[in-house]
Amino acid sequence: MSDMQNQKDKKLEALLQSRRFEPASPDLAERIVLQARGMPQNQKVSLAQWIRQLFAEFHLPRPAYVLAGALMFGIAVGLNAPLDTTPEEADSAYVQSFLYADEGLL
Amino acid sequence: MAVGWSEKDDHELLTLIQAGSHYAFEVLVRRYTERFYRLAYRYVQNKETAEDIVQDAFLKLWQDPGKWQSERNNKFTTWFYRIVVNRCLDWQKKKRPQALEDELSLPDEGGTLDAAIMRRQEQDRLEQEIAALPERQRTALNLCFDEELSNQEAAAVMGVRLKALQSLIMRAKATLRERMRAYL
Repeated sequence: MSDMQNQKDKKLEALLQSRRFEPASPDLAERIVLQARGMPQNQKVSLAQWIRQLFAEFHLPRPAYVLAGALMFGIAVGLNAPLDTTPEEADSAYVQSFLYADEGLL
Repeated sequence: MAVGWSEKDDHELLTLIQAGSHYAFEVLVRRYTERFYRLAYRYVQNKETAEDIVQDAFLKLWQDPGKWQSERNNKFTTWFYRIVVNRCLDWQKKKRPQALEDELSLPDEGGTLDAAIMRRQEQDRLEQEIAALPERQRTALNLCFDEELSNQEAAAVMGVRLKALQSLIMRAKATLRERMRAYL
């Protein structure tokens, strides 16, 4: 690059560094703060935000793992439950005997 | 103001603002008003308009602090720079474009105009030429000549890679070098 080109670059750089600037009013921050005091906040919460807040509330570090864990726990409890449920036939026999007993009363 | 509030980082302040804290908002506003005003001024070249843009941006933040989402892992300043830049660009789009003077009214070599007037002309012309740059080049230039913003952060504000930002600045400077040749 020629010296002249270099000089032009430097001059342009200097021009850009010294662009015109007018400082802000000293009370700008104050004005913003005062204006905000009279303004209500928008408390509209989207569904996604609500779910995020809910998880934050319960401090679930990894919701996916916690939910999967809960599911596995449920399955394990279900599989370990004692099989003492009455068979369907026994159940229907019980219902019939109950009905006949009822008729006997009449 | 409560002692210790000014030591809180931006993230803490924003969480408190989301909970409705005026103190936190005040600390944030005092911390950054100057910086964002400087950027807005670069675009609009008018004190009142730049102040209005910064004021509106902060008040919108107060009204709807939920827009700031910390989990996205971006710095408050990066996010807010983007908001201010967008507001400035919107303002410029609404404003009627200023026609550039076809002829450069250069002072003659004899020096009939004094240095202050010449400087003023030079600056006016520079601002006109910057305003005429394509939007992205203009933004790159304005962000990179803000002394508080690193090139990396400027690239993040624009959502481009560092290389792309550097290329935008180079193109902007080449255009300005060409259009300002009478002054260089």
